[in-house]
Amino acid sequence: MPITTTRRRLLAGAAATLALPAFARAQSGVKPRLTAISQWSAGSDGAAITALGKKFEERGGIWQHSPVPGFTTEMMNKLRAQIIAGDPPACSQLKGPEIAAWSKIAPTVNLDSVVAAAGYEKVVAPDLAKLHKPGGKWIALPLQIYSTNMLFLSKRAMDKAKADKVPVTWADFNDLAEKMKSGGVTYPIANGGTRPDDGQKFEASLAGISPTAYRAAIMNLDKKALAGPEVKAAFAQVRKIADWMDPNVGAQPFATNAKRFIDGDMGMMIQGGWAQGVLRNAGFKLEDFIITPGPSDNSKPVFLLNADAFIFWERKEPDLQAGQALMAQLVMDPAIQTMYSQITGSIPVRTDVDLSGEGWSDGQRRTAAALKDAVANNQAVLSLAHNMAQENGLTAAMIDVLTEYVKNKTIKPEQAVTRLAEAVEGAR
Amino acid sequence: MTNTVAIAARTGRPATSSVMGRLPEFLTIWVPLLLSAAHLISFSLWTIWISFTPSTLVPVSGWVGLRNYTSVLATRNWNIAFDNLLLFGSAFVLLSLATGLILAILIDQRIRGENVLRSIFLYPLAVSYVVTGTVWSWLLNPGLGIQKLVQDLGWTSFRFDWLVDRDMAIWTIVIAAIWQSSGFAMALFLAGLRSVDADLVKAAQIDGAGPVRMYRRVILPTLWPITITVIVIQLQFAISTFDLVRALTNGGPGIATQLPALVVYDLMFQRGLLGRGAAAAVLMLLILLAVLLPYAAWRHLQRRRANHA
Repeated sequence: MPITTTRRRLLAGAAATLALPAFARAQSGVKPRLTAISQWSAGSDGAAITALGKKFEERGGIWQHSPVPGFTTEMMNKLRAQIIAGDPPACSQLKGPEIAAWSKIAPTVNLDSVVAAAGYEKVVAPDLAKLHKPGGKWIALPLQIYSTNMLFLSKRAMDKAKADKVPVTWADFNDLAEKMKSGGVTYPIANGGTRPDDGQKFEASLAGISPTAYRAAIMNLDKKALAGPEVKAAFAQVRKIADWMDPNVGAQPFATNAKRFIDGDMGMMIQGGWAQGVLRNAGFKLEDFIITPGPSDNSKPVFLLNADAFIFWERKEPDLQAGQALMAQLVMDPAIQTMYSQITGSIPVRTDVDLSGEGWSDGQRRTAAALKDAVANNQAVLSLAHNMAQENGLTAAMIDVLTEYVKNKTIKPEQAVTRLAEAVEGAR
Repeated sequence: MTNTVAIAARTGRPATSSVMGRLPEFLTIWVPLLLSAAHLISFSLWTIWISFTPSTLVPVSGWVGLRNYTSVLATRNWNIAFDNLLLFGSAFVLLSLATGLILAILIDQRIRGENVLRSIFLYPLAVSYVVTGTVWSWLLNPGLGIQKLVQDLGWTSFRFDWLVDRDMAIWTIVIAAIWQSSGFAMALFLAGLRSVDADLVKAAQIDGAGPVRMYRRVILPTLWPITITVIVIQLQFAISTFDLVRALTNGGPGIATQLPALVVYDLMFQRGLLGRGAAAAVLMLLILLAVLLPYAAWRHLQRRRANHA
């Protein structure tokens, strides 16, 4: 029963937190209160954060969540306005390297003691942990994880290709796509036309070819790695993928093609784990498709991390400080993470949560297993397309190159390598 | 004290009443004018200031000189956006002018159901650009819209895939923008056509001018002040186009249909680079001034000529 032990540890952690002077003073007399902003207002995201709020209230807190629906950038505009006005929320949604960037413009809460008391650092993927402790101190906590490079296979397209083996390497993947094409699948790759969609094709290719090269080139922006043979090979793989996609897709999201994918008119999707929720919400059955980790040339799963998180902003009010302590404990709690991921279809941040029980899908179990394997083999890396690897400015400059490459088939892989390096140089 | 008040009231009566009489004028014209001018000028100055600072996520003070400008001008995004603006601006203005004029002349033939037709052609103006963009993005999508319809009707080799063609995609924005705003040009031209002196037309008829000649030599020359107005209004729309592109192509395929306003928004709010975004915004303002200043000069010249006459 791994959950019981962690829960006991967490209780001990909570007790230890109570003993910490700052929080102890805060928690002694006042009713904890939390002001929070996020973009999660509707659908499963809205349901999940509402459920989290209920738990917060059950523990005696006052939950004041103001959702800012729409794009993440709109939530950021509200956050920016509140920070400039000197009235930041006690906690807000923010992810990836933006945590470090934003922490420079307003003071944040040092969560080290709460995190240490809960023994949390041991159960979080190392690259992910680093993002939430810029300057060595925990100031933000990840909430849930998605993989951006899951491979979705249409059962009907597999039947048309007379294939039953799930592809492991890029060579297998390319074979299967060819088989699908000759078996009558019109477009072996189902895709959307959005910028992150195009970015995902590239990051899945490069990380699958070499996670080491991905880490050096994309995460560390190493000049030699950016011009290296792996990046060129990744662009070549992206060109193959682009040739198998429907050229008629404009700027629509991938979900537009869900039906053609299930019908076997399109064969495979390289998508984030959230696509499972999209497919199921559209009324398709789990038997209609297979979910497997994206292709990896060394056959061990590569996991491209995308994680939502909360950052905690410094407030002087004792009730808000108490609310922040309570929120931190809740976000790290395996039971809460279980509840949250079961609503949204993601997987928990903690690598020690048991997913064999009820309420989890096979896709989620496979994703969690892939994360565990990837962390063990040092193959869990941060997604570029979903703003985890670099700050927004750099990410956007790189995605410009990737999206143009996907759409413009006259650009050669070696030209794309040069353009990517130039874009990085220009944006730095 | 009562004395002074009484004196003031007595002597000041005419003055007070004239001030009172002009108060509504004052309130309705000057207050809003000053407020919006202050608003416009202060924010423009603020944007210009920000464009010289190293601001990223939030505005900060500091001085980086022209660095923001040089880095914006060096990006592919801005250069593509600028080229697109030249193409889109001229094509859109000329074609919407021509469409509007033709519609106005046709409607001017004292036809039946004029009101209905006029409403139909003006109707797109009432639709938000986001709606226009979304509707056209479906119509022009080769797999779903016009191309598929014609192919399903039997002409299987028919191709109309501009939306996903990098070189032609900018023309889909021209099409949608013309659909949206040629009714506006039509309305102005129609008003102009209706205000042409009837005696002038009659005189031309007596002199034996046919319809084509009449339009070319008599009526259209009187329309050119309206033409200039339409051109200026359409041009400033073209320069600030944002929502239409965002809904129709979102700058794609790839970055083929970027426009300056998209670049500004992208830099400021998506990339978190306020300084560079402000620099791009100032560049847009300069483009706008390049259009508006000659227009203002022309208006000034006209007025002086009118005064002399």
